Amino acid sequence: MASLARAYGRLLAFLFAAITLLWILVLVLVPLGAMIDQALWWRESKGDVSLAIDRLYNDIALAQLDRNSEKDPAKQAALDQQIAQKQAEATALEAQEKNPPKTYGFANFTRMSGLHFYIFVRTILYALMVTLLALVVCYPVAYVVALASGPRKAIVLTVALIIPYAINELLRVYAWLMILDYRGVINGVLGWLGFLDLDNRGWIPFLESPSAVFVAMIYTYVLFMVFPMVNTLETLDRNQIEAARDLGAGTLRIHRRIIIPHAKPGIAVGCIMTFMLSAGSYSVPAIMTRGQGGDWFSQLVYRQFYESNNWNMGSAYAVSLLVVCTAFILIMMRLFGVGLRDIAK
Amino acid sequence: MSTSTESRGAQFLLNAYVALFCLYLFLPLGVMSAAAFNSFDYPSVTQWRGFTLKWFVALAHDQRILEGLRNSVLVALGVIAVSIPAGLAGALILTRLGQRSGTMLYSVLVSPVLTPGIILGISSLIFWREFGVPGGLFVAVMAQSSFIASYAMLLFLARLQRQDRTLEEAALDLGASHTMVFRRITLPFLAPTAFTAAVVAFLQSFENYNTTVFAIGGEWTLVTEIASRLRFGLSPVINVVGVIFVVLTVVAAVTYVLLKGRRAVAH
Repeated sequence: MASLARAYGRLLAFLFAAITLLWILVLVLVPLGAMIDQALWWRESKGDVSLAIDRLYNDIALAQLDRNSEKDPAKQAALDQQIAQKQAEATALEAQEKNPPKTYGFANFTRMSGLHFYIFVRTILYALMVTLLALVVCYPVAYVVALASGPRKAIVLTVALIIPYAINELLRVYAWLMILDYRGVINGVLGWLGFLDLDNRGWIPFLESPSAVFVAMIYTYVLFMVFPMVNTLETLDRNQIEAARDLGAGTLRIHRRIIIPHAKPGIAVGCIMTFMLSAGSYSVPAIMTRGQGGDWFSQLVYRQFYESNNWNMGSAYAVSLLVVCTAFILIMMRLFGVGLRDIAK
Repeated sequence: MSTSTESRGAQFLLNAYVALFCLYLFLPLGVMSAAAFNSFDYPSVTQWRGFTLKWFVALAHDQRILEGLRNSVLVALGVIAVSIPAGLAGALILTRLGQRSGTMLYSVLVSPVLTPGIILGISSLIFWREFGVPGGLFVAVMAQSSFIASYAMLLFLARLQRQDRTLEEAALDLGASHTMVFRRITLPFLAPTAFTAAVVAFLQSFENYNTTVFAIGGEWTLVTEIASRLRFGLSPVINVVGVIFVVLTVVAAVTYVLLKGRRAVAH
């Protein structure tokens, strides 16, 4: 703080610190805390409480009947006491029914049904597969753009990559929807060649399988892998490659010993971005499945908020997703030996 | 021209691979654009019913899309107003902090960039409901700003690393006040970056879907409206929106390259 005051003067230093603090608290940390808090409590569902109240009133009515047909005053008094006790219980429950108390615990996490947990795991596995495939597909592209072409060609290629990257992700998903649709490009071409009979609904239902989401997801997020790799590879001194070649290293060895080690931060960033985007993507599954293919985890989260109106469960799902993504980032950082400063370049 | 560390055969294979990759990137966009000119009611290129411009006319009369466009611009302007000052302040603080406290603060400030968009939307939605603000344009501005401010901060930070501090120190020695130094030296130095950051913030906000869809509640932006059209009832009108996006992007990219090329020649 002292160094800040020296650099900017007290007034400005205070102003900058205040704005930064406001950003951290109002936009980042407190909303995150609110979400975690929301995930940790729940109210007993009204149905159970109402059922218990109904049961109590049944018991009371029965006891009342017994009481009226009872002659022995001692037994009458006992029944009276029983009725009063049940009445008090019912009143307490009725208050609870109107305004159920918050209960804190991890039940929102453990209550996730088997099907939802399966979807959770499947979403993460698919996201990992998208990441791995994108890495394999993009490495040669990044290598060519950054190292193996002249400056003019590199500019042209960069622009060729930036254009699809800059176009809205929904439109990129939509393009694949048109290709894989029942009467889309692939079915259309196959029908035209005579393999399929489209007029009698003899098309291949691509959109009903999760692989449609997978294909569109790779297309949508593949470029988030290319640019970080290009950025780090561009800083590699080409003389290193020349030297290695002159000393007799083969192509594979040059990649393994020189280019890939240099590209590490870029690979880590690319993997983190691609994984994070595909694991948390709502747009791609929502558009591609259109209610026909299987669900993705992000769709379950959305429904908890906007259809079931169960914000507590929804928050718990969101926190689970956040935990997985954070774990992925930490693992990648450890694996590739990069710090956060390298990541956010 | 090329470094030619590869043999001729390998070079050919690599080039073919990259060409194929570009084809993979552009072909789907071409399909989507072409369908905007097909007079068939359902977006398609295989069922061609003749060339038409009627979907462009339909778009011009589509009230919800036009309103969504207006909302998108409003949200984007709000995001610029929030995230540029926040990013600037964060960057100014970070450049003067020591290694350890700096790294801590840095982690917190860039963490929204690495967080899935839906999480940012959800946490903002929950946070603002506590204050009685339901999902809508305002919450969308707040949710988007949380990560767009980080991008702005990274841009400012990169610029500040190239700053020559002796200029500020000299001005202070000569008796200028801190406020004056900031206004006359630091701000002009950062002005081009502020412009770039504002453009980036506008585009990021305008294009954003995954965060916005959770924060927007009952209102809509152009992008959330496109998404709901894609889910319920496809129409070539959306392809027209796509064509406009593609054309604008290509024009912007080509202009950028031409400008860059001219600058390279001038130097």
